[in-house]
Amino acid sequence: MFSEGLFYAFSVLAVLGALGLVLFRHPMRGAMSLVVTMISLAGLYSLLSAKLIFVLQLIVYAGAIMSLIIFIIMFLNIQDNDLPVEEKRFAYTAGGIVVLIPVVYFLIKIAGTIPGVEATIVGSGFGGIKEVGLVLFQDWLLPFEIVSLLLLVTLVGAVVLAGKRRVGK
Amino acid sequence: MIQDYLILSIILFCLGILGVITRRNVFTVFMSIELMLNAANLAFIAFSRLHESMDGHVLAMMIMAVAAAEAALALAVVILLHKHKGKLDTNVFSLLRG
Repeated sequence: MFSEGLFYAFSVLAVLGALGLVLFRHPMRGAMSLVVTMISLAGLYSLLSAKLIFVLQLIVYAGAIMSLIIFIIMFLNIQDNDLPVEEKRFAYTAGGIVVLIPVVYFLIKIAGTIPGVEATIVGSGFGGIKEVGLVLFQDWLLPFEIVSLLLLVTLVGAVVLAGKRRVGK
Repeated sequence: MIQDYLILSIILFCLGILGVITRRNVFTVFMSIELMLNAANLAFIAFSRLHESMDGHVLAMMIMAVAAAEAALALAVVILLHKHKGKLDTNVFSLLRG
């Protein structure tokens, strides 16, 4: 009962944050409402007894990635007249909603056929660091290494792109 | 219980699609992509809870790593394009148009 109330509170907050991201004109406000969505998603992860992912969501997503985005938004010093004019935005939004409603309806129909489980606490080790680490370093070792390679490539690429010194200017 | 989480995930994913197709601000488009990645994460964790196995958690961690990499690279590209064009409009960034 209590967990259901928490679920509805967190999901309403998440949907409101996502709506704010889509509807606010300034990207700073959108980023702030996306932070609300991230934090309420972390609460939902803790309701699903995913302890490690709960912590990672708070530290990596709501902490690192969002502060990087907000830092760049503030770094570029975006004023209101720098923003692109979106005069037909609400017409596009209405059209997008009309297109997406059948898709949502179809997907919710599919989700209804999946067998549910009771909202109980699963075994004591579910979702802890040790259990996830065991699976990660035994069954998922090759994807883990590929992801580390991807991070290295991204690091080099970001340095090459953003730190380019143009000569002759 | 799991259905509710999946429905929330679907709604968040479709809001992300709506943000990508309706907005022209490059930051908002980028953050909508992050929102879609988050919705996929929620579906992974919900299915992992349904089957009581850890594979979904591992996949969610991988998605977080890919999202971090994507954020670093995409923001570098945005800074570069802002330096070149001085605008944040996705319609201006049509360098590959034939």
